[in-house]
Amino acid sequence: MEPVHAAEAESYQVRLEVFEGPMDLLLFLIRKKKIDIADIPISAITREYLAYLERKEQINLDREAEFLLMAALLISIKSQLLLPREQPPADEEDPRRPLVDRLLEYERMKSASLLLREREEEQLQSWRRTSLPPLDVADEPGLIEVSLFELAESFFLLLKRRENENFQYLKGKEVSLDEKMREIVRELEERHYLDFLEFLARQESLEEALISFFCLLELIKTGAVIAVQERLFHTIKVWLRRSRPLPESHGQSA
Amino acid sequence: MDNPLKVILEALVFISIEPLSLDRIREVLNDRSEEEIRRALEELEAEYNREGRGLRLQQVGGGFVLATRPDHDPWVRRLLQIERKTKLSHAAVETLSVIAYHQPATQPEIQAIRGVDSSYTIKTLLEKKLVKISGRKKAPGSPLLYRTTDRFLTYFGLNDLSELPSVEEVAKMLEEGDVPEEKRAGQKAAQQEKTQEETRTDTQEMELEKIPDET
Repeated sequence: MEPVHAAEAESYQVRLEVFEGPMDLLLFLIRKKKIDIADIPISAITREYLAYLERKEQINLDREAEFLLMAALLISIKSQLLLPREQPPADEEDPRRPLVDRLLEYERMKSASLLLREREEEQLQSWRRTSLPPLDVADEPGLIEVSLFELAESFFLLLKRRENENFQYLKGKEVSLDEKMREIVRELEERHYLDFLEFLARQESLEEALISFFCLLELIKTGAVIAVQERLFHTIKVWLRRSRPLPESHGQSA
Repeated sequence: MDNPLKVILEALVFISIEPLSLDRIREVLNDRSEEEIRRALEELEAEYNREGRGLRLQQVGGGFVLATRPDHDPWVRRLLQIERKTKLSHAAVETLSVIAYHQPATQPEIQAIRGVDSSYTIKTLLEKKLVKISGRKKAPGSPLLYRTTDRFLTYFGLNDLSELPSVEEVAKMLEEGDVPEEKRAGQKAAQQEKTQEETRTDTQEMELEKIPDET
């Protein structure tokens, strides 16, 4: 659809149907008057064409410039025909020729598009399994799996958010990767999913947040969890994958 | 079902999301000859396309698909609780025709035939993946070249570009003049879905009567 039509789709019914473009209108006039397309009476056609243009009723006004361009072309052809010549012009020199060729090709395309329409109509009523709407998996509407980069980006975003907070550097408790991993898994098992950003934001220190981030990366790597976004720019959620075993303890400490 | 190969093929086509190409079938059934597969496919096709089946076997976009028959559309939609699928706009189908018959075609070439600016329509066709950019023309300004896609074929139920309505079919339609358009309008009215294109013929005729013949 042309932009205007899309916007006016609703008001379409109250309006008169319009000629989409100059070729449309010109062809209609020629066919309606049963004129031999090879021998178009340019002056009569131009008059009719201009009458439509003046009333501005049935032409797509957003295409007015294009309708006018065609009017100019018609008038220029008419003037060329009026020029006195010593000999009648040969067929190839007929100033109407290029326009006639264009009209014939346009008419061919228009008919072809009507035939395609018929096929479209038929196809649209034929359903394939691909055409089915996706099955609704509870609470997982159109999930997008996120990449490492998106995770890292979120993480840095979080760090930036916390930048202005008044951090107090205390020698805090030592957190091991192992412990953190267990904590995450425990939470995942209880709630089935974690809000990635929210979970990291909950961590008390930068170190802890970093460790949590590594843990999540590790879990994603082993395939025990999956990181998904419900929609673009939405929060990233981490889901437990039931089919995969959880990774073995690492025994490393941070 | 007598031919075991036919039954296997039925299963393969059924489970395929995309049109299942002969090449793909041959990869899967690599111990069968192409001739054997072809024959079984023909048998299967004949069987499905007999009257009295809910599904039909179609060759579209270079492969085989199983699809419901158009007659069953109302029931399918009631089951899935969805509306009629939206059609492409008049401008979109016209532009697609121009590209399909002239490909690869540039935007200026398309516009020259249609007589109207087609940039927006081309953009939406690209978004719908019905056309694709296939390169640039070696001409001043190196304009982009457009081609139709496999999705275009599938959308219109065509197997390949050779199945586009032929010059003869189009010519036949032209000879019949306005008749088919009006006839179609009548059919559509029966289905209670007169669309803008069909209703237009009537309005135009009415309008023409009002114009005094100055000649």
